Formats: sequence, structure tokens, C-alpha cells
Amino acid sequence: MGHTAPLLQMAGICKSFGSAQVLREVDLRLDAGEVLALLGANGAGKSTLVKILCGVYSRDAGTVRLDDQAVRYDRPEEAIAHGVRFLPQEVSILPDLTVAENILIADLPLKRSWLGKQVDRPALRAKARALLDRLGCDLDPDALVHQLSAPHKRLVEIARALAGQARVIVMDEPTASLADREVQALFAVVERLKAQQIGIIYISHYLDEVFEIADRITVLRDGLNAGDFATATASRREVLDAMLGTTVDELYPPRGASIGEVALEVENLSLPSALDSVSFALHRGEILGVFGLLGSGIDQLGRAIYGALGPLPGARIALEGTPYIPADPRQGRDAGIGFVAAERQREGIVPDLGVRANITLPFIDRFVRLFSVSKPREVSHAQSWIDRLEIRAAHLDQPLRLLSGGNQQKACLARWLVEGLKVLILEEPTRGVDVGARHELYLALRQWTQQGLAVLLISSDAEEVAGICDRSIVLDRGRVSSHFSGGAAPADLLHTPTAKDHP
Amino acid sequence: MSIAALLNRPGAGVALLLIFYLLVAVLFSVLSPWFLSFDNMVSIGANMAFIGLMCALQTPLIIAGGLDLSVAAVAGLAGVVVALLHASGVGIVAACLIALALGGGIGLLNGLLVVRLGLNSLIATLGTMSVIGGLALVLTGGLTKPLMEPGFNWIGSGQLLRLPVPLVLMLLVYIALGWVLARTRFGRFVYAAGSNAEASRLVGVPVARTLMILYVLSGLSGAVSGLILAAMLYAAAPDAAGQHLLTVIAAVILGGTSLFGGRGTVWGTLLAVLLLGTLNNGLTLMDVSSFWQDVTRGAVLLLAVGLDQVRTRAAGA
Repeated sequence: MGHTAPLLQMAGICKSFGSAQVLREVDLRLDAGEVLALLGANGAGKSTLVKILCGVYSRDAGTVRLDDQAVRYDRPEEAIAHGVRFLPQEVSILPDLTVAENILIADLPLKRSWLGKQVDRPALRAKARALLDRLGCDLDPDALVHQLSAPHKRLVEIARALAGQARVIVMDEPTASLADREVQALFAVVERLKAQQIGIIYISHYLDEVFEIADRITVLRDGLNAGDFATATASRREVLDAMLGTTVDELYPPRGASIGEVALEVENLSLPSALDSVSFALHRGEILGVFGLLGSGIDQLGRAIYGALGPLPGARIALEGTPYIPADPRQGRDAGIGFVAAERQREGIVPDLGVRANITLPFIDRFVRLFSVSKPREVSHAQSWIDRLEIRAAHLDQPLRLLSGGNQQKACLARWLVEGLKVLILEEPTRGVDVGARHELYLALRQWTQQGLAVLLISSDAEEVAGICDRSIVLDRGRVSSHFSGGAAPADLLHTPTAKDHP
Repeated sequence: MSIAALLNRPGAGVALLLIFYLLVAVLFSVLSPWFLSFDNMVSIGANMAFIGLMCALQTPLIIAGGLDLSVAAVAGLAGVVVALLHASGVGIVAACLIALALGGGIGLLNGLLVVRLGLNSLIATLGTMSVIGGLALVLTGGLTKPLMEPGFNWIGSGQLLRLPVPLVLMLLVYIALGWVLARTRFGRFVYAAGSNAEASRLVGVPVARTLMILYVLSGLSGAVSGLILAAMLYAAAPDAAGQHLLTVIAAVILGGTSLFGGRGTVWGTLLAVLLLGTLNNGLTLMDVSSFWQDVTRGAVLLLAVGLDQVRTRAAGA
């Protein structure tokens, strides 16, 4: 062959939990200086594979070779000692320490003094500086980490991995909470890591990103290898087919045609330091997209209309022609508005309640007979949505916390799908949801709008807004900066005149 | 079914507690012939009833994400208030109603402090606990006040259907609460609020109102317990009830209710109350010093919570 051995070679990896076989003879190869995207629907086995690589789980069978040396470890510390680093989706840093302390926490430079050993501050600063320089980053080593922005915290974490002599870095959804500009900055850092011969395994749900940053793609499906692609030559369609198994038509269903009269009219909606006289109209049978970057006001708009932010002085809102004054979520709900919040774990799911009780929670009144909740009515309602949305749960009363993100999101949506709902407001409806579930969610949205529901879809994912929405508006620093009727291309949304000169 | 799946079933925690309870009962019945008699069983229930009542309403409060450390102090104050009012010539029924209103009022105050002002429930109710306990001492000068009134004493030591009145009262409260939590809309709100308050609020669950109601009910349960205790003892002592606060919290946690909210049942709490009562009773029958009873209660609590942690981990793998 003449090739040098790959940096990392995993071969024939098997893993079972109880009777469920999660990985079946999975192979994975990573070269030095390469970005490998690991893709697969939720439950495909990618997180199990990564956890085996990082020493969280031990494998049942198979080999792991680093630089052609067989390695065996079952603890994360041992993986780190071998130069394998995992960067979880949520940044894990020590907020009250400085940048330099965070980077070198595992190996603080010490000096002797009359008090015993002490941290050698100048050496600490210099070492941290050198590591930050490798990332092309000019952060102050003495800054306190809690004062940093999310992307800078991510950089501190990467620098910490470099301090530990990492050779393989696994990034799990590193861009999930970043705006587009910040993603580009992260990619610049990834390019630098590549140039330093570090191998990167990149897990993401965003195909656009994967094609931009990765050299190769390894796809898992149902615990098996489902394809290896070079991004230079592969098409998105091929990759999607490998992930989903069947040949899916497009991710986004065709647009509906039956746009009706105005369902929700918003005029002059302002909120201090968030929204500045926002006005728009949303029609029955329509999905109206609201696109914006972080800090553009998209995280306030939906909940303000719903009523979660209390009264809105100065704004005029009409729901099917009658004035509507939002004051609290109960009023929004009773007026016929549904709301699904962006932060699913914090604001969406009720983790200890079962799937059934989660679905029936907002309109529990409709299931009450003689002071008690009628279980048969609840069961038949919940079961019908579980079937229609293909929510995968062991049983009706399985606590929602035990379901995957995509299935939790489906349950959060199903809550609102009742007789009489007029407007459904969705914030980031598919964040952290795998491609298969996304497709099902989009199909369901289309179906309901065809039955007359009006959907306001608020998202920082330009591809999603362009793909699913009938019309869209762009928010920029709290103002509506542009309107698009009909299908807009993702690039159009991102490059409206005002968004371009965003500092 | 595998052991992990068995341990993961919803009732597994309560079932383990029941097994433990039966083991304890078997052990004591071997060691003491008197233990298993009907009269002894009934007296365990009757003696624990006033504590069990406080536990009953503390359970939904903790499930909903609240906590009331003042409940036992309210019991002490309620007894004292009835005794003092009765001694000064107020009718016994009016005196009891005033004491109940006082208990509900203190619950309302706790609710306002926690729900409206946003104080941490531990700190807020620790504060009211201290104020109320102190007031009871101030009102009585630290002395025990006698309280003899046949009608009144009946609720502490009378019989209903050949069972002690406090025991009957406690069982009725548990049955009612069990139904409310499992079957009603309010019960659903209790679990939802404790599991994720913000998500619940965003779908229109009246989280604040639910907690307010539970704080008021907790205060009321303290007052009722205080009346029962005073009726049992034929006297009201300012510090008679306060010492049982730890037992109340211990029983709720032992019964499988999560201190973080969202999970628990009153049936687990009832079982834990009976278990703690049985331990005290059995140790007394075996002539073990009452000083050791605190030690056993603490050890059982640690053992149960520790086992539950192991169970959750085994089931979660």
C-alpha cells in the first residue's frame, strides 16, 4: 500500500446494552490533519461509538489503534492520556477561573517558594498565550471565563485539549448555539488544528456545515456502517439516503397553495433592547418564517406574542380580526395560540411526566369529567398523535426525559394540535433533531397548515426557513430588515443589505 | 423480565420499601410476642397520625417543588392558641377555627414569601419556623397549658368504628390526596410544576397558584396536627410538635418523593410513616433506650435513600 498508518483506526467495534445491540462491527478511520464528519439519525449509534473512543463505555469486541498501536482503556482519563479528547455539546468550563487557569487546569505550572508549591503565574500566562496563538486567538489569558462569549468559551475548551497533547478531538454539535459569523470563526480554528496534524471527528446535524468543513463523511445507520464519502465528490442526496436508509424525497415537503385570510396581525411590537416596532401579518394556511441571528430579537418575538413576557404597551395585535392583548401564557393558550420554546430541556419538556401527560398538559381541561381526568379520553388522544407523528416511546407513560430529542420535540408539538388552535408559534423547531425526525416534523407542519392552521416559524437556521416557509421576514437588531414572498434561498436571508453590514 | 427492567418500573421504589417494612415487622414479631397484636398495630397508627397528617400535605408540596419547614412549629402554636383561648373563655369550636385560620394564614404567608417574593423555600420557611416557635414560647412563657374538654379530646383519643379517631382522620386524608394527585387536574399540575416549572408555565399551567394552594394546605395540616396532639395529650406544650419536623421530612423522602420535585406518591409517604412508627414501637417494646431511636431513624433514612440511588443507577444503565 505504501500509505502511512492512519492516526486512528477503529475496527469491528461491537457494543450491546442488555439485549439491544447498538453497534455491529463498526469501522472508522481518521487520518492526521483530517476532519471526519460522523453522521447518522438519532439512535444510529454515533454517540455510543464516540463514547467508546473516549473511554466512557468499554467495547464488547473490536480493536482501537492509535498510530498503529492497539490501545485498550475504559476510563475517560485514560483516553485523554492517549490524546483523545471529547468536546461535549454544552461547553464545560470553570466560570470563575481565568482563561489561562482553565486551559492548564490539569497541569498547572508550579514553582517552589517558602510557602511550599505555588502556581507560577508568569509561566501559566506564557503557556496559555502559546496555546491560544496556535488557535490564532487573541484572548487575554487573565480574563475571567464567565465574562466571555459562547464561542470564546469554546476556544478555551479547544486550547485546553491542546494543552493535554490531544491528537484526536471529537466535537459534538459544536455550532449548536453559535450564530453564522461565529461558526465561520470556529471553522477557521478547525483549519488551524488540521494544519497542526490533529485529527477531528465532527458530529453535526447541519449538512451544510459538514460539506463546508469536513474532508470525509462516515455514516452510521442502525448500528452499522452505512457509507463513507469524500465531501469533494459526494452529493447531499447520497449522504441523506445513506443516513435515512430509504430514498427520501427532499427534506422539505412541497409548499401549500391554500393561503387564507389573516390569522394574526402584529403592528408596532416593541420591547426594550430587543424589538423595535415589528409589524407583520400571518395568514391561515401559511408558514411564515422569521429568520435572524443571535441577538436579532428572534428569541423574544414569539414569546412576546404568545404572552410569556407580559403586557406589551404600544403594540396592536389582532387574532382573526379581534384585538388580542397578551398578558400571560394562559391567555395566549385560551385565545388559540400555541407556543413551542427553543430551549427544549429548560422550557419545553416536563421530564418526569409521561408522554401522555405531556401531550395533554396545555388542554387538560378538555379531558376532565366530574372533577377527574378521564384516562380513556387522554389515552386515545395521546395515542393518536403518537401514531401520527411516529413518536417512538416504550409505552404511553414513559417519562419524557427518557425519549430522544426528536421524539421529545414531537411530543411538545403534539400538545398544541387540538381543535380550535389558530396560530402555532415555533422557536427553533428542529434544533438538535435528527434528519429523519426533521422530515417527519416538516411533513406534519405542512399537513396542519393545509387544514387552516397558521404557523410562525422562528429560526436561526437559514436553510430551514428557506426550505419550509411560504414567506419569510428577516429580523436584524430588533427590526424587520426584509421580506421574502415565495421561496427564498438561504443565502438571500443571510445577505440582506442590513445583515451584511452587521458589525 | 430482567432485574434492571424490574427495578425501573414506576412502583419499584415503593415496593422495595414495602418489602423492607415487612422484614422489620417479621423481625419484631419474632422478638416480641406483643408486637403483632391488633391493639399494638392500631396504636402505632394512632401515635403516628399527627405526624402522618403533616407528611401527607408536605408530600405534594415537595413534589411541586416547594418545602415547608415551619409545619411542625405551626402545630405547636395551634395547640397553644387553642389552650390559651379556651382558658380565657372562648368556646372550643371558635378556638379551633381560629387556630385553623392561623395555620392557613401562616401557610399563605409562606406561599407569598416563596412564590411572590421569590425567596428560597428552605430559607423562608426556616425563618417562619423560628418566628412561630418563638411566639409559642412567648405566649405560654414556655409552660405546658392543660386542655380538658371532652368533645375536643375525642379527636385525639376517641374511637370511630373501633379505630382511634386520629388514625381514621389520617387515612381519610391519604385516600383523598391519593385520588387528587393521581386523578385530578390539580394533581397533574402538582407533578408538572415540580418537574419543570418554566415549561409548565409556558403551556398555561398555573404554577404559582398551585404552589400557593399547597403552602396554605401545608399550614392547615400543621394546625390540624397541633389540635390532634393537644387533644391526645390533654394539654398543649409549645415545643411538643416542633421536634418532629425531621421525622416529617424524613418520611416524605423515605417514601420516595424527590427533593428536587416532580416525583413521589402519598402512598410511599404513608408506608414510610408507618415504618418509622413501627421502628419506634418495636424498639420501645424491646426496651431499647429512646435515645437510640433517633439513631435508627437516621440510619434507616440513609439506607433507604442510598438503596434508592443504587436502584436508579442500576435501572438507568
